[in-house]
Parts: sequence; structure tokens; C-alpha cells
Amino acid sequence: MRTRTKVWWWVGGLLIFAYCLFPVAWIVSLSLKAPSDLDNGSFLPSAVSWQNYQLVLTGDASGLFLPALRNSVGICLIATAISVVLAALCAYAVARLDFPGKALVLGLALGVSMFPVISIVTPLFNIWRTIGLFDTWAGLIIPYLSITLPLSIWTLSAFFREIPWEMEQAAQVDGATTAQAFRKVIVPLAGPGVATTAIIAFFLAWNDFVYGISLTSTERARPVPAALAFFTGASQFEEPTGAISAAAVIVTVPVVVLVLLFQRQIVAGLTQGAVKG
Amino acid sequence: MRRPTALLALALVAPLAACASAESGPPTIAWYVNPDSGGSARIAEQCTEESDGAYVLTTTLQPRDAPGQREQLVRRLAAGDTSIDLMSIDPPFIPEFANAGFLAPVPDEVAEVVTQDVAEGAVEGASFGGELVTVPFWANTQLLWYRKSVAEAAGLDMSQPVTWEQIIQAAADQGVTVAVQGTRAESLTVWVNALVTSAGGEILQNPDEEDPQAVVPDLDTDAGRTAAQIIADLSAAGVGGPQLSNADEDINASMFEGDSAGFMVNWPFVWQRAKSAVEAGTLDQAVLDDYGWAMYPQSVAGEPARPPYGGVNLGVSAFSEHPDLAFQAAQCIVDPQKQAEFYLSDGNPPGSLVAFDEPEVQEAFPMADLIKESLQNAAPRPQTPFYNEVSTSLQRTWHPPRSVSPDSSPSRAEDLIVDVLQGRALL
Amino acid sequence: MSAATTGIPAATTAGAAAPTDRPRRPRRSDRGRQEARLGLLLCAPAVLVLVAVVGYPILQAVWDSLYSYKLTNPDARRFVGLENYALILSDPIWWQALWVTVLITVVTVVVELVLGFALALVMNNALGSLRPALRTAILIPYAIITVVSAFAFRFMFDITSGFVNTWLPFVPDDLDWFASFGTAVTVISISEIWKTTPFISLLLLSGLAQVPGELQEAAKVDGATWWQRMRRVTIPNMKAAIMVALLFRTLDAFRIFDNIFIMTNGAAGTESVSFLAYRQTIQRLEIGIGSAVSVLLTVCVALIALLFVKGFKVNLAASTRAGR
Repeated sequence: MRTRTKVWWWVGGLLIFAYCLFPVAWIVSLSLKAPSDLDNGSFLPSAVSWQNYQLVLTGDASGLFLPALRNSVGICLIATAISVVLAALCAYAVARLDFPGKALVLGLALGVSMFPVISIVTPLFNIWRTIGLFDTWAGLIIPYLSITLPLSIWTLSAFFREIPWEMEQAAQVDGATTAQAFRKVIVPLAGPGVATTAIIAFFLAWNDFVYGISLTSTERARPVPAALAFFTGASQFEEPTGAISAAAVIVTVPVVVLVLLFQRQIVAGLTQGAVKG
Repeated sequence: MRRPTALLALALVAPLAACASAESGPPTIAWYVNPDSGGSARIAEQCTEESDGAYVLTTTLQPRDAPGQREQLVRRLAAGDTSIDLMSIDPPFIPEFANAGFLAPVPDEVAEVVTQDVAEGAVEGASFGGELVTVPFWANTQLLWYRKSVAEAAGLDMSQPVTWEQIIQAAADQGVTVAVQGTRAESLTVWVNALVTSAGGEILQNPDEEDPQAVVPDLDTDAGRTAAQIIADLSAAGVGGPQLSNADEDINASMFEGDSAGFMVNWPFVWQRAKSAVEAGTLDQAVLDDYGWAMYPQSVAGEPARPPYGGVNLGVSAFSEHPDLAFQAAQCIVDPQKQAEFYLSDGNPPGSLVAFDEPEVQEAFPMADLIKESLQNAAPRPQTPFYNEVSTSLQRTWHPPRSVSPDSSPSRAEDLIVDVLQGRALL
Repeated sequence: MSAATTGIPAATTAGAAAPTDRPRRPRRSDRGRQEARLGLLLCAPAVLVLVAVVGYPILQAVWDSLYSYKLTNPDARRFVGLENYALILSDPIWWQALWVTVLITVVTVVVELVLGFALALVMNNALGSLRPALRTAILIPYAIITVVSAFAFRFMFDITSGFVNTWLPFVPDDLDWFASFGTAVTVISISEIWKTTPFISLLLLSGLAQVPGELQEAAKVDGATWWQRMRRVTIPNMKAAIMVALLFRTLDAFRIFDNIFIMTNGAAGTESVSFLAYRQTIQRLEIGIGSAVSVLLTVCVALIALLFVKGFKVNLAASTRAGR
């Protein structure tokens, strides 16, 4: 009986693996099909072809894809960095200090995070046009903050509440300066939380599509998700299935690596305080 | 794929060049091109060289579909963006650009040169209100593609013009498909417009009208109903293929390479596509040999067909800092010799009729003379400043193809076009 | 917006006040004032950014929605009052989009909740060696770009490039999934569900971990079946986690855009409210009408949040997360 139950949980586990990885495997398989092999009607390619990767990395589509990759990485990193810094200040205050309006700050963050992105896009598009931020990095970084900042504030506040701040005092009593106490005691304690927040914020920014297609128009600032919708085949009438798949795989690699490296922290960050309070 | 390294180099260098030239050297002319196989970038290089230091022509890629290209350009131009000098524009959107004041006027001497030996449809497509507002570049048209074996078995004489009724009937008899663009996108409007104009009608009575309130649709007519009847018949005969309501040019080209292929209306890229597939070994040479081509089908027997007209024209932005150089570059780009090369490398037919006479063109494209003839008969889509609204309304009311009926679709389209243009409906 | 925020502060106070229980430095009143000032100062940049990035555009949208304003014809811009709203609310397209959005929201959230619960149970019971691996695998759909997921499922169900029709025995080989409303919405929902269920399951997993083991044991001793234990012990104890997951996912699903854009581009009647706003503003360049659609969408989201917070008494203090 007991082993039978165990077997069932194993089967369940394997099913979850299949569930999670199946579409990923499919897009990888698709990216390895040669253009003429795309319609073979089966899951796997008849023969592995690297043609699509060549196309997006060095071929015709590279002019579209490589700048987009550069934009996405740059814009998302900057947006993440800014929001983590701002959120850290804010979360420190929320977690440690007593001040009026604390609840209002958290409420505002929550409200913003629930906000429909498309509602902000319309006016932003108009404002950006007028002040010249349309199709620039800054023009995406700023709205990305509306996605990453609220999340960072909430996640970091939760992390910071768990930190035994009295250790800082103890270090100071032991003769350390404030700076030393901060560097030696608080940074190592707060570090993991900040890193986790940064990863999750990065995922959110990396995922954005609406801002990306609405607020850019050239490779100057267009991010990858938007560029995926812009690929073209051998002629303008041909659907670039292979190029899209190859590019999709390439942009998925970094997130998979992050997930593999930091799965424990990400789970902690995602569920931090969801029920603990 | 032809010259990947050169292209990569260009992609990397182009922005640098743009920065550098702001300081010194010849001014940069930024050309917003449609996606192709690298032909535009090659032309840009050539023209930069030929300009002898007068300008540096750089290219920036636009989205794949025409409405997407329009959105991007309009957004930038509405902001008075000076970074666009020259742009490739799909003809139906040219009136909107002209009407909004986005296009620099074409100097008379330029107009004279660039309309010489150009198909009439192409000149029409480059104009608004009887005035040339863009420089005609390459032109495109759809042909009727058929499988010789199917036509023969059905006893159709393809050397004579055929009607939609005939090919639907033949396809039904032979158990094969008639591939048409039934997807809710611009290509549906292309099809409907060809059906309507071939039946002697027009989608709009007064496309030149600049007041949206005064635009009068003209679909609920014999021509409009004939067009709807053809779509309804095709759908009812079940010959549209399983994906009819999502079928775009690519899906149809792919279906036409398969076993159920009979007939198809499509752009000439399908020939290139099939040839590459043969080279790649995924398509039998026998299939390619079975490809036949003819003039677009007639909507009404005996009345000459008006095939779709597509392609790209070059507009100079009204906000460009170097309009004279931009026109100079445009003239260089549309040079017949370059158009012929562009045709050979990218498969986009030239708007210039003399380019068809190049021996290499004749050799590479056995249907070149038919394309030339088709271009001369081609009818543009309505040249209205409100094309986007008109086309989208049409797509909303004439999709999916199985819902199209001569009794309701034309009148519903008319109502929606009027409501949308008068600001009474969402799109 | 206002409804969402007014509902929350009261609820959050409890959570925010938690740190005060910790031992802290002795407080003097001027010190307290200093602390308050520091707190406000530290929060100020983040708050200013949030207000600027979201608050200002929203006011602008409300303002624009009162005008008839087309981008290619700015000279004809004129004040029309609430005409845009009247136009939208009297147009069947709006109601169709709203219905599609509500349908997709309800279907995906319900399926995600059930499926997410099953995933959480498996992960909770999986053996030690399997658990971290499962947790890694489940994060992959969460981390993948929605657009990539949309493309993967679109190509999968496509007649020419896909394999689903050949694999599924009860489906005709030439079924075009994107041709009719029912099948198209199904594929859109599948992609949405695949991508977001992991998030729900992780929230529920951490909720499962909070269910007191002794209660479970006691129920077992009393002879309760698995199903009875689930209904009487497990689920009631996870209520907070479930409600929070529901709230976040509902609001998120209501904004669905990416999947529809990639898969059908709004054909076959699959336009959502977000898509409608996008079409008016970005494609049609009707800033006035588009802004009005955006404002209406915002009102819908605020109403849903209000319903959860007031109606279902979701204690947001129990949740310090704001992810999507």
C-alpha cells in the first residue's frame, strides 16, 4: 500500500515535469526544423538543422533580433536596478521605521500592480511623443518601473521584516562603526532577499509585451517580445515560424538559467509572506 | 541568407555611421524599408557609393505586415520626427499620409523622371487627388496559379480567361482546393477589392474625399453583391481548404505545394518559394513542373479581370532635414537597372515596365510577361485617407468567408464604414 | 484605481505593524518624529515614481477620453464630454469584448485553481529527491515570456506546422482551431493556463505547508476519509492563500492581451477589452475613444478588486506579495 502510494506520487511528479517542459521542448524542436521541414506534421524535426539559429544570430533576421536582445537586456537590467534600489529604501522604512502613511505606501504599490497596463499605454504614448521619449530606452525603463517597483516593494518589505535588525545594534555595541555594522551584518542578511527580488522583477520586465510594441518603433529601443512579432520570412508574405522559434529559445535560455540557479530563492520570493503575514 | 556577414556588418555599422555623420561628412538619409531578403540594404549601399559623397543612405527595418508598417510610421510622423527621411509605403496608405501632411511634395522634374515607363496602376497608386505624392518603386500583382494536371483533367482551357465560377466548379469536380486569402487581415481586403473591381464596381464612390463624414461606400451594388456571391459560392462548395478563414498568403502557398492543390490566387513569391523547396529537397521537381499561371480570374464572364495591385512606393518625409537629397536617393533607388536586380534577388517585381525586358529577368521568371500584363490591368485599393477604417470595417463584415452573403455582407459593410467614419462605432 | 487603493490600506495595517512587536531601541518623542521623517524620506522616491508613472497617465487618459481626437488629424480635436463613453457602451463590440474577457477570466482562473491545487499536492507529497527538481521545473512556465508561450501553442495547434490534430484521436485532422470562437478561446486559455498555473500552485504549496499537521492527524484518527480531511481541514486552513491567489490571478487574467494578439489578432470574435483599447489607440489612432476604453477597463479592474476585498473579505495583510 505504502509503496503504491509512493509510486503514484512519483507518477504525479513525472506528469508535472511533462506539463512544464512539453511546450518548451516543442519550441526547441520547432527551432531545429529546416524551413521546408516545418510542415512535417510531427513533433520532432526530420533532420536537425541549425539554419534558424544562423538566421537570427548572423543572418537576415539578426539586424532585428540582436539589437532587440541588447535592448531587452539593457532596459530590463536598468529598470530592475532602479526599482530594487528605490524599493530597498522604501522597504527598509516600511519594515523598520514607524511613520504615518506606511499602509498608504503599500496600498499604493498594490493598486499600481493591479493596474491594466494597456490603460497606461494610451496616455504614455501621447506624452512620450510630445516630450521625445518615444522609442528610447528611458521611454521603456520608466513604464517598466510601474511593473517592477510595486512587486519589489512588497517582496523586499516581507524579506526585511524577517531580518534580525538587532544584530546591527549588537555589532555597534561591540565597537563597530555604523558603516561597518551595515556592511558586515546587514548586507549579508539582506543580500539574498534583494537578489531574489531583483530576479523576479527582471522576469516581469523581461515578459512585457504591451509597452514594448506600443512605445517603440525601431531597433533603437524595441525589446525582444515585440521583435518576435516582427520577424519576416523569405518574402514579406512568408511566415517566419523557424526564426521566431529560434529567437524564442534564445530568449528563454537566460530565464531558465536563472531559474536553475536560484529556484529556492525565487520560490521563497514569490510566496514570501503570502500566508505567513 | 545571401550575404549574412555584409548584412550583419551593415546592421552594426549603420547606427555608428548615423552618429558619426551628425558631426561631419555627408548627411545621412534614413530609409525605412520593408522586410525583404536584404535587397534594400544592398541598393542603399550602391546608392551611397554612386552619390559620390553627397549622402549616406542607411536602412531601418519596418514590421512585416502593411498595417503594422503604417502604425509605426504614422506614430513617428505624427510626432514630427525628423529622423525619417525616406520611407517605403504600401500604396493604400499613401492618401492618409498625404492628407495628414506627412509627405514632402514631389518636385516636378523628379515626378517626370520617375513616372516614365511605369505601369499606370503603379502611378495611380503613388498619387492622391490626381497628384503624384510618392515615387513608384516596385509593384506587385496576383496571378491565378493552377496545377496543369488539374486544369487538364477538368477540361479547362487556361489559355483563355477563366471565371471564378469555372475554377470553383472545376475544383469541386476534381476534389481539389481553390486557395484564397480568407484571413481577417489586409489580404482579405485585397481579395474583396479585386472581386468588386473585376465586377465593375468600387468599394467607395468618392475615395478622394477628405471629410470623413462625406465618404460614401459603394458596396451594396451589383458588383458588391457579385463579389459576395463568389465568396459564398467558394465557401459553400467547400473548396477553400480547412483553414479558409485563417488562410494567408503563406498558408496558401504551402497548401498549393501539397496534394490537394488545384487553384490559387497569390503573389508571385510562391514561385520562388516552390523553387527553393525543390532545391532543399522537400518538394518534387514534378510538382514545380505542374505549376501553371494565368491572368487573375474574372468575376463576370467576359469582363476583363482587375487583379490586385500591391508593392511599395517611396515617400519623402515632410519633416526630413534633407528632402532634396532624399529625392535624389529615391531616384537612385528606383533606377530600372536596380529594380531588375532587386527583382532577381528578392523576387519583388519592378514597377518600371522596361525592367521586365532585362534578359536575366525573362530567364529567371518565365511568367514575367504575364506579371507585366497583370500590372497594367491591376486596380488599386480605394485611395482614401481613411483606408485603415474602410479596410478594417470590410474585414469585420466580410469575415469569416462562410458568413458572407450577397444579401447582408455588402450592406453591413456599408453601414459599418459610415458609422466608423462618422465616429459612431468602435472598430 | 482609487477603489483598489482605498480598500487596501486598512487591510495592510496589520501586516505593516508587525515589526513593532520586535524589540527596538528605546523611543523618545523627538526621535519618533525624526524616525517618521526618515521613513517618509525613504519612501518618497518610490512613491513619487509610482504616482508619476501611473497616476499622471491615468489623469491624462480621463482627460483625453472627453475629447474627439484622432492622431492624424489633431486640428479637429474637440471636447465631446461623455460622448465617447456613450458610443462605447452602446456598441455591441464592447459587450462582446467584455464577455470574452469575463469568459476567459472565469475559465482560466477556475482551471488554474484546480490544477494548481493538484500540482501543489503532488509537490507537497513528492519524495525529497524529487521536490527541488519539481520546483525548478514548475518555475519554467512562470519565467517564460508570455509571447513565447503564445507562439508555442499557436504553432502546436496550427494545421500546417502543428501536430495536435494528428495526435488527438477525436479531432479531425483538418480542424482549424483558430477558425471558430470556441476552439480559438480554448487554445488561448490553454496557453494562459499553462503559463500561470505554476504561480498559483506555488502560492497554494506554501499555504499547504501552513496547515497544522496535528489537525490532519487528529482527523485521520477520527476515521475521516481523504476527501473529508481535504474539505474539513486542509481547504479551510488554506483559505487565505486561496483567496489571495484568486485575487491576483483574476485581476491578471482580466488584462489578457499577449496571447490573443499572437494567436488570433482578435479574429473569430476573440477580442478582449485590453485588445479593444489597443486597437482604438494604437492601430486606429483614435486617442479619445481609446482612452475611454482604457478608463472603462480600469473601472472594471477596480470593481473586481473591490468585490474581492469587501465581498470576499480577502485579507491582503496576509499577503505581502504583489506579483503577477
